[in-house]
Amino acid sequence: MSANFHPGRILTFVLLLALMISMTYVISGQLFKFGAMTVSAFAVGEGAEGATRAGELMRMMVPLHSGLAIIMTIILTFYVVRRFLKTPIEQRSAFLKRMFLYEALIAGVVVVLFPFFWMLCTSFKPSGQELVISKANPFDIVPSEPTLDNFRRVLKTDAASVAAGALDPIENKKNFGTYFLNSLLVATTAAFLVTLFASMGAYVFSKKQLPYKQQMFMLLLATMMIPGMMFMVPQFFMVCKMGLFGTKWAMFLPHLASVFGIFMLKQFMDTIPDSLLEAAQIDGASEWQVFRVVIVPLAFPIILTLFLLTFLFHWSNFLWQLIVTNFENPLSITLPVGLALFRGQYTSELGLIMSASCFSIVPIAVLFLFAQRYFIEGMTQGAVKE
Amino acid sequence: MAIKSSQDTAVAAGFLLPFMLLFGVFLIFPIFYSFYLSFFGSPTDYSLTNLEFVGLANYKRIMSDFQFWWSLGVTAFYGVLSIPLGICASLALALLLDNKLFGKSFFRSAFFLPNVLDMLVVGVIWTLIYAPKFGALAQITTWLIGENNFFNTTGLLGSPMTALLAVVVAMVLKGAGFGMVLFLAALQNIPEAVYEAADIDGASEWQKFTKITVPLLRPIIVFMVITGVIGSLNAFTEIYAMTSGGPQVVMGGETVGSTSVAGYYLFKQFDSGNYGYAAAISYMLLIITLGITWLQQKVAARNNGMEAGK
Repeated sequence: MSANFHPGRILTFVLLLALMISMTYVISGQLFKFGAMTVSAFAVGEGAEGATRAGELMRMMVPLHSGLAIIMTIILTFYVVRRFLKTPIEQRSAFLKRMFLYEALIAGVVVVLFPFFWMLCTSFKPSGQELVISKANPFDIVPSEPTLDNFRRVLKTDAASVAAGALDPIENKKNFGTYFLNSLLVATTAAFLVTLFASMGAYVFSKKQLPYKQQMFMLLLATMMIPGMMFMVPQFFMVCKMGLFGTKWAMFLPHLASVFGIFMLKQFMDTIPDSLLEAAQIDGASEWQVFRVVIVPLAFPIILTLFLLTFLFHWSNFLWQLIVTNFENPLSITLPVGLALFRGQYTSELGLIMSASCFSIVPIAVLFLFAQRYFIEGMTQGAVKE
Repeated sequence: MAIKSSQDTAVAAGFLLPFMLLFGVFLIFPIFYSFYLSFFGSPTDYSLTNLEFVGLANYKRIMSDFQFWWSLGVTAFYGVLSIPLGICASLALALLLDNKLFGKSFFRSAFFLPNVLDMLVVGVIWTLIYAPKFGALAQITTWLIGENNFFNTTGLLGSPMTALLAVVVAMVLKGAGFGMVLFLAALQNIPEAVYEAADIDGASEWQKFTKITVPLLRPIIVFMVITGVIGSLNAFTEIYAMTSGGPQVVMGGETVGSTSVAGYYLFKQFDSGNYGYAAAISYMLLIITLGITWLQQKVAARNNGMEAGK
C-alpha cells in the first residue's frame, strides 16, 4: 500500500467498471426483456385485450428477466474485479487498456446494430403507441405491452382483413407473405441459374482450350467497370420488347450474366490440379461427368458462396424490380417493392412498416448467422488480389 | 489428335455458350442499344413504340440542364463525404479488433452483418430514426434537452444542410464492417518485426501508425476509394428510401433537390417517361466513370513509378 498505490489507475478502473456495469445491465436487460416479450406476444390473442394480457404476462416475468440481468451483471463485475486484483501491478495498465477496448467494441456494436433492434422492438408495439417512450428510462425500448397485431395486419390474417378477404380474395392475397414467396422464388431461381452458367463458363476459362479465350475474358472484365445504372434504360426496353414486362422472368433475366461470378470461380478453379481431370478422363468419364464429379465437388465452397451472394443481390435488387413490376398485377410484387409501396400508404404507422421490414431483414440475418464465413469471404475476396 | 482437339473446342464452346449468350444479349448489346436510344425523344404516353428521332437534341439538352450538373455536384459531394468517413470508420474498427481478444469473431460478424441487409429496408429504418416528432433520435433529444430542438422540429432529413450528411452517416454505419474486414486482414499481414524495428529506432505510436501502418494499408485504401466512387455514381436506393432527392432548395433561380444524386436524377427522368433523355444521361455517366477510372490508373501508375524509382 505504499509505492504501488496509483490513485489515477484506481480511479480509471472505477470509471471503466462503472461504465461496464451500466452497459452490461442495460444491454443484457434489454435482450432478456426482448426474449420475455416475444414469448408473451406469442402467448396471447389479437387486439387490445391481447396486448393488455401480454402486458400482465410481462409484469409477471419482470423478476425473471431483470433478475437474470442483475445476476449477469454481478457475476461479470466480480469476475473483472478479481481478475484486476490478481493482475500483477506492472500489467495493470495493460489490463485497463483491454477493458477499455472491450467497452469501445461493445459500444460500436450497439451503434451499428441499434437500428435493427429498434426495428424488431417497434414491430411488436401496439398501433398508436410506437411514439411512447418510457419517461423514467429512455433506454427501455422493448415494449411492455407487446402484440403481434402488426404482423397479423401485414400478413392480412387479422379479423378485419379476413372478413374483407371473404369478399375480395385477391385483396387479401396482397400481403407480405405473398411478397416474401415471390422474392424467395425470384432470388432462388436466379441464384441457381447464375451459379450453373457461371461455373460452366469458369470451367472453360480455367481448364479448357478455346480460340480467343483470353480476349473474351478481357472483354468480360472490362464490362465490370461500367456502372450498373447505365444498363437500366436499354435493359428495360429489351425486356418490354420481349414481352416479359411484369413477369417473374423479367425480374432477374438481365442480371443472369454474372461477370463477378465467373471471375471468382475461375480464380478458385485455377487452383484445382489438371492431373485430377486427366485421371478422371483416363477412367472414361465424359466431359459432363468430369465437370459434375470432379470440378463441382472440389469448387463447392466457392459455388455455394456465389449462390448466397447472388441470392442476396436479387433479394435486394430494388430498382430493377421496381421498374419491371406491373402494378396492375399486385400478386407479382416482390419484397422491396412491396415495402416501398406499403410505406407510401402507411406513412406514420411505424409498427406496420417495421413489421413489414422484418420480412426482408430477419431471414437474411438468420442466413448470415449460419453461413457468415461464406458471406464475409465471398464479399471481401477479390478486393485484395495482385 | 486433330479430331480430338476440334471435339474439345466444341465441348468447351458448349459449356461457355449459355453464359456468353446472356452476356452478349444483356450486357454487350445494351451498350449499343442505349447509344441508339439516346437519339430518340420521349413518348408523351409512356409507350415504347412512338419514339421520335431527335438527333443530338438530348445531348444538347444535357449541356444546358442545370439539374443534371447539379446532381453531378451532389454526387461528388456525396462521395467526398462518404469515402473518407467510411475509410476512417472501418480503419478505426479494424484497429480496435486487431488485438488478442476474446470473442473476436463475434465482433467481426456483428459489424459485418448490416452489409448483407437490404439497402431499402436499412434506409427506411434510418428514415424513421431521423424522423421529427416520432423518430428515435427526436425522442431521445426531447428527453435530454426538451421539445424545442432541431432533431424534433425539422429532423436531420428535413433540412437541406444536413440531409445528405444524415444519409452518409447511415450508409457508413451500414458499410463499415466491410472495410473493417479488409483492413483487418491487411493489418494481420504486417509482420510484427517491422514494429519491433521501429521501437528500437524510438518511433512513437503515432509515427508507427503514419509511417508503417497507413502506407502498408494503401492498396486497401485505394480499393475503397475506387469502390466508393462507383458506389456514389450508382447511389440510388438510399436516396429513394430516405429523402426522395429532397429537401428542395432554390439555387440560381432553379429549384433543385439537395440530395438528388446523379443516379436518382436518372431514375426520375426515366420514371417520367423521358426514355431517350435518360439513355443520354446514362451515356454521360458512363463517360464520366471511364474518365475517372482512367485518371485513377494514371495516378496509380505514376505512384508505382515513383516507388520503383526510390
